Amino acid sequence: MNKIRKQYLPFARAGIQTLIAYRMNFLGFVIGGLIYCFVMYYLWKAVFLSSGGSTFMGFSMTDMVLYLFLSNMTSQLTFSSVSTDIGEEIRDGSIVMRMIKPVNTDMSYLFTELGGAFMKLIVFGLPVILGLETYRFAVSGTVMFDPLNFLLYFVSASLAYLISFRVNLCFGFVAFYVKNLWGIGILKNSIIGFLSGTLIPLAFMPDILRIILEYMPFASMSYTPVMLYMGKYEPTEILLRISLQLVWAVLIYGLSKLIWAGAVKRLSVQGG
Amino acid sequence: MIYAEHLRKEFKKIVKEPGLKGSFKALFRPQKEIIAAADDISFHVPKGEILGFIGPNGAGKSTVIKMLTGILTPTSGECRINGKVPQDDRKNYVKEIGVVFGQRTQLWWDLPLTETYSVLKEIYEVSDEDFKTRMAFLNEVLELESFIRSPVRTLSLGQRMRADIAASMLHRPKVLFLDEPTIGLDVVVKDNIRQAIMKINKEEQTTVILTTHDISDIELLCDRIVMIDKGRNVYDGSLRELKAKYGQTREMHFEADPNAGLTPEKLLKGLGASDEHITVECDRNLFKVRFNSAEIPVAKMLNHTLSVTAVRDISVKDADIEEIIRCLYKEGADGDE
Repeated sequence: MNKIRKQYLPFARAGIQTLIAYRMNFLGFVIGGLIYCFVMYYLWKAVFLSSGGSTFMGFSMTDMVLYLFLSNMTSQLTFSSVSTDIGEEIRDGSIVMRMIKPVNTDMSYLFTELGGAFMKLIVFGLPVILGLETYRFAVSGTVMFDPLNFLLYFVSASLAYLISFRVNLCFGFVAFYVKNLWGIGILKNSIIGFLSGTLIPLAFMPDILRIILEYMPFASMSYTPVMLYMGKYEPTEILLRISLQLVWAVLIYGLSKLIWAGAVKRLSVQGG
Repeated sequence: MIYAEHLRKEFKKIVKEPGLKGSFKALFRPQKEIIAAADDISFHVPKGEILGFIGPNGAGKSTVIKMLTGILTPTSGECRINGKVPQDDRKNYVKEIGVVFGQRTQLWWDLPLTETYSVLKEIYEVSDEDFKTRMAFLNEVLELESFIRSPVRTLSLGQRMRADIAASMLHRPKVLFLDEPTIGLDVVVKDNIRQAIMKINKEEQTTVILTTHDISDIELLCDRIVMIDKGRNVYDGSLRELKAKYGQTREMHFEADPNAGLTPEKLLKGLGASDEHITVECDRNLFKVRFNSAEIPVAKMLNHTLSVTAVRDISVKDADIEEIIRCLYKEGADGDE
């Protein structure tokens, strides 16, 4: 454990420093994310106004605001760019520089990204949560913040991150076969955006579709933690959802290891 | 120390017919062709030797280096370094080697150089004390001090290469793989890097495999060379032998005094050399003479030239490595017939 800390923590540190080195990039990322949330907010507000009632499919307008901002924030926090990173490194051959180091290739990616994720949590995640709680307080007049739900959210979001990282890693390995990932990368992001409930809450979908999607790994990537934060689950369901995330995390971990073992044998380094 | 036995690496390549039509064809029904980038390469290197691993572009040098460093898995054949097969346990194996690919960098692009070294220190589990003495040593030979706090992306090529070489030596590797470490560098930096390689080889008995296109790298550093071409071994032996055998071509350049009215015919007259040993090209007063120094000693050539004409500037160059390779390759091709 100590060895992991010593060997991989530098990667996390480097991840943070790299993020800071490109401050404007990061700022643009935060502001862009917020603008997107507000656009979605006005869109859903219009939906609510036209539906006439104070709730829509079990969601009040306050719920909806919470959901929109939380799910966007969560999917940003759990977003992993490892697929483009590894795809790029395979395409230009710089992956060889990773392979000559005595570290696990996937772990080095993970920790570099964790550094960035940590920064995002501090600079982006916490202010958003603070803002949302202020909003809820202003609307209802009582403090709605529930520390237990927040804790559950944190645990579940961490699992969500691990799943998202491994899914993207698997996807990145596709670059061993196709050499350039840009096109299917866009396809992947829109599919995940839809299937994970970031675009439209899964609760709004037809029952059969919703049940199927809730059991797929994509729901584990942002929907589950958000629903936990909002306290939408009964205790038994909380247990089910988190165990489901665990199962997916383990399965996808295994899958990524399997693909890597096969892919590394057919690595053909381009250039140099 | 290093054993490579019958190494072969095949790549699949999609063959595309020319033009748009060809591109569409390749999209739907790709024609695959198997290319052997390395084909039956064998050599071994004893501990403490500096081996020059040379060959023309595309000969398969980098492919072999990548197999030896555990990045690529050979299609067939085997390599063993330090008694280990690189592909078996890559993570443990690479602890004992240092690698520089001249066209790439292992430095953290956006971070100050010192950060890269402290990361490497942790990765390779170098103790604090060791790290200090090591950095002092590398600082001294490679002169890193002036830019060690700058972000890597702001470094010049020469600085970056010195930094990369230092990074590969930080953990006292037993074997050092240097793939074109002097590419694109000026003479001062090249010298710097050669000093570092020599010093580390002498002081720590580090085995070095070096690929380069620079003949002076080889002359100054290498005890032995292995030459490959088109994925096959073509030569294995000392540089002196090779040069004695193939490297006797010299090139003489001079500018003749325009008043002397020198022509190639006049220059050749009285030298008594047959056509196969000498060729003369001239562009007004600028002469380029290539001759075989085994048949026509350099001194004789110079004396003769100076006796037939007044010259403004004269120089004699050694055959470069490309020339020797061309010779070797031509011989190989002739042998096939």
